[in-house]
Amino acid sequence: MQTSQTMPGARFVDPKILSRISSLELMARTVVEGFINGLHRAPYFGASIDFAEHRGYVAGDDIRRVDWRLFARTDRFYVKQYEADTNTNLSILFDVSKSMSFSSRGIPKIEYASFVAACLGYLAQRQRDRVGIVTFDSDIVTHVPSSAKHFNVVLHTLDRAKAERPGNLTAPLNKMAEHFKRRGILVLISDFYEEPDAVLEAIKPLKFLGNDLIVFHVLDPAEIEFGYDDASSFEDLESGDQIPVVPQSLAQEYRQLIRAHIDALTAKFSEHRIDYTLLNTAEPLDRALFSYLSSRERLMRVR
Amino acid sequence: MTFLTPAFFLGLGAIAIPILIHLIQREKKRVVEFPSLMFVRRIPYQSVRRRRIRHWFLLFLRAAAIALIVFAFARPFLHQSAVAAAAGGAARDVVVLLDQSASMGYGDHFEKAKDAARRVVRGLGADDRATLVLFAKNAEENMRATSDRARLEGAINAAKVTAGATRYGPALKLADSILGRSPLKRREAVLISDFQKTGWTGSEDARFPEGMTLTTMPVGSANARNLAVPSVTFGRSAFSGQERIAVTAGLSNKGDEAVGNVPVSLTVDGHELETLRATVAPHASSSVTFAPFTLSGPNVRGMVRAGTDPLPADNTFHFVLTPSEPVSLLVVDSGAPDASLYISKALAIGTTPQFQVEVTSAGRVAPAAFDKRAVVVLNDAMFPPAAAGGVLKRFVERGGGLLIVAGDHTTFPTGSTADGDLLPGKLGTTIDRTDGRAGSLGFLDYSHQVFELFKAPRSGDFSAAHFFRYRSVEPAPADRVLARYDDGAVAAAERKVGMGRVIVWTSTLDDSLSDIGVKPVFLPLVHQLVRYLAHYEQPTSWLTVGQVLDVAARTKGRTDRIVVTPSGERVAPQNSRGLVELAEQGIYEIRSAGATTGRPESVASNLDPVESDLTPLDPRELVAAVTGHATPETAEPAMAEQMTQEEIEKRQGLWWYLLLTGMALLAVETTIANRLSRREKFL
Repeated sequence: MQTSQTMPGARFVDPKILSRISSLELMARTVVEGFINGLHRAPYFGASIDFAEHRGYVAGDDIRRVDWRLFARTDRFYVKQYEADTNTNLSILFDVSKSMSFSSRGIPKIEYASFVAACLGYLAQRQRDRVGIVTFDSDIVTHVPSSAKHFNVVLHTLDRAKAERPGNLTAPLNKMAEHFKRRGILVLISDFYEEPDAVLEAIKPLKFLGNDLIVFHVLDPAEIEFGYDDASSFEDLESGDQIPVVPQSLAQEYRQLIRAHIDALTAKFSEHRIDYTLLNTAEPLDRALFSYLSSRERLMRVR
Repeated sequence: MTFLTPAFFLGLGAIAIPILIHLIQREKKRVVEFPSLMFVRRIPYQSVRRRRIRHWFLLFLRAAAIALIVFAFARPFLHQSAVAAAAGGAARDVVVLLDQSASMGYGDHFEKAKDAARRVVRGLGADDRATLVLFAKNAEENMRATSDRARLEGAINAAKVTAGATRYGPALKLADSILGRSPLKRREAVLISDFQKTGWTGSEDARFPEGMTLTTMPVGSANARNLAVPSVTFGRSAFSGQERIAVTAGLSNKGDEAVGNVPVSLTVDGHELETLRATVAPHASSSVTFAPFTLSGPNVRGMVRAGTDPLPADNTFHFVLTPSEPVSLLVVDSGAPDASLYISKALAIGTTPQFQVEVTSAGRVAPAAFDKRAVVVLNDAMFPPAAAGGVLKRFVERGGGLLIVAGDHTTFPTGSTADGDLLPGKLGTTIDRTDGRAGSLGFLDYSHQVFELFKAPRSGDFSAAHFFRYRSVEPAPADRVLARYDDGAVAAAERKVGMGRVIVWTSTLDDSLSDIGVKPVFLPLVHQLVRYLAHYEQPTSWLTVGQVLDVAARTKGRTDRIVVTPSGERVAPQNSRGLVELAEQGIYEIRSAGATTGRPESVASNLDPVESDLTPLDPRELVAAVTGHATPETAEPAMAEQMTQEEIEKRQGLWWYLLLTGMALLAVETTIANRLSRREKFL
């Protein structure tokens, strides 16, 4: 366990402070090392080649897996069985639609999402997992295939990601479903400004391959609390439409609607055994990391 | 409340600014970018709510602040007295002295004066009170101290120009009296007049105590032009047994410009007899004489009118003429030839009045000869036998006059007889002054009506007369000594008996015992003695406004007479003495209460001639004399108001308070708005 060059408690550092760290890698390492240190004897940190049990040799088994010592004692062929292969694919599906550029007081959602993605990537790379990323808005923008050597490319992609165009989930996710042939962990980071049913319909194809899907719902505090003061014209970042809004008059209803939206997403993802995590850009990153590690543990136990 | 710069009220349009900000400006203030309006769109949009003004109080504060600031720039001010009351905090007692003398009828002077009085009244504060005093020759408290402005204005509106002369003294004394009784601390007299110089002699005993102020508001015009007829004179002459009158009218030009070719007309009994043309130089007098006319009867009314000018009242002069009646005398002498030559010749000369003299000797006098005589002269004669037994005494007691010229022949009954007490004193022996220096008059009672005429210097030299012999008289204490000789002996004494008068002259009125008969004073002395004894009063053709008409004297004591004024008002004499004060210009008639026909006795009433002199007095001089200290100068009325406005505004500085209040309101509004904004997160 590496303990050097870590910042104890860095996982609780305010994202605004993290945003001052120009290097994503440094940022990710800072967060992750601090996070891992805090875990101590983490049950999720299992060995990659641990022995599980013996079984009888059957035709077709690789003779290299025959336990020769046991053959010497028992004169029977037994094959050693180990825990599942610990190397897996982590694919980050990163929403770069225009709405992700929103920021009320702290950092933009897309930046916060980049931190999450970078941290997850760093964590995966440390686990010897393969890391890849797909950015999308209404279409796929960039695609970095999962690879043990692509961590830096992933960081580079995140660094260059710009939220410029309107977004849509269905089309790009369908394309990705066709692309992911090997099962792995898919991390979808988006603000999900679509109807819950439509979101679920868009995500379902990803699940067909047995992928473990983790969904991060990134929202700014203003989107949740709607704490505006003055009556103003509100402009939709993606469509450009403007509506005169008196916040005091509709804040209550808005909060009810966004809560209902979140609740609906939570319920539907839960029904389909999809990990759903709501991320508030004003909060630290550790919740995202916990979600990832929980999923990975589940995946490790699959043989 | 008045404003110096009312154009600034256009700024009230700025009140709309907060409303526009409320309704329009705020919602376009800024654009907020939001990730998605997906949920906002689902909420029904309440546009009405935005357009509704929810914080009326804030809007009111903003509008009030703007209005106050605009008011401040308009420079408001309250009228003087209201402000003074507000600022000083003490109520005032104001006496408005409004001149209503005849000279105020010049042009629009009186209207200006009433306007000034109304301004004063309108400037009164709520606690102030005012008294309206109308004055001319006398002052009258027209409206007692009151705070009722409507009543005061009503009284001012009802005021009219009278025919009276201007006298400031009575008005100022009345103001002093009114203010002296006032319980209020601030006492002020406001004198509104044309400030005729003739109305103030400087000797009036009008002086305000400390604490009372006198404000002057002159309404006169500079360089006033005025032509007046101050008097007329009558030349009487006899023609065919009737009296002819030649009227001479005096003209006076008080202006700076000559009056040329002005028509002067004479009207008698309503008929215009003649119109002449006259030219009068500036500040000069002239006269025109009309052709004589025959005086047909008593109470002939005449009028002289000269031209027109802004003061028409004094362009007309009224008079009433009555044929003169001669004074009838009976001269009783010793019967010697020419014994009464000097007296009869002296009395033949007079015209005002004419004397009708009958000369007879004492022995031939019949008792009836005393009837209808005004005066009996016993000219160095014995007491007439026909007069004995109280005849002469009764004559005197009825009002007749008796002149006893005591000479060597004079005899008079002693005190025990019926006529014994007629003689003023006791007749004594003859004093002979022929030896040495003759006697002369050493003392004359100039206060007596007989000698009053000679009172003035060079009005008759009695010292030139020499008295060689004279009778001694010892007057009783009740008798009045009119003259004494240089040795102290009585020269003339008077006794009043009943309604009549008796005078004894202790020397002769010819050249026998003295030479006074050839001295210049003889003629006027004889005339004066006879006039006095005859109770003669020269009939006046006119009186002056302000004089008192003795109705009782003119009607011989009858009480059923009424007086009709020139304006047609019937006035009954107000007291037992039958006196009526003349207040109007024109002809007064004295009528029998029930009579409707017949020619009534008439009395002409004219303006006081000094009222025609419009020469102004410096109001500061008057103020200094009354209050004892100088005051700020008084400007012309039109200018005065303007100056007053600016001065009042400057003194009040209301705009300053308004501006401060407006700024304070804005500060309050800001504070409240911020708190509301913080609390509601919405404004």
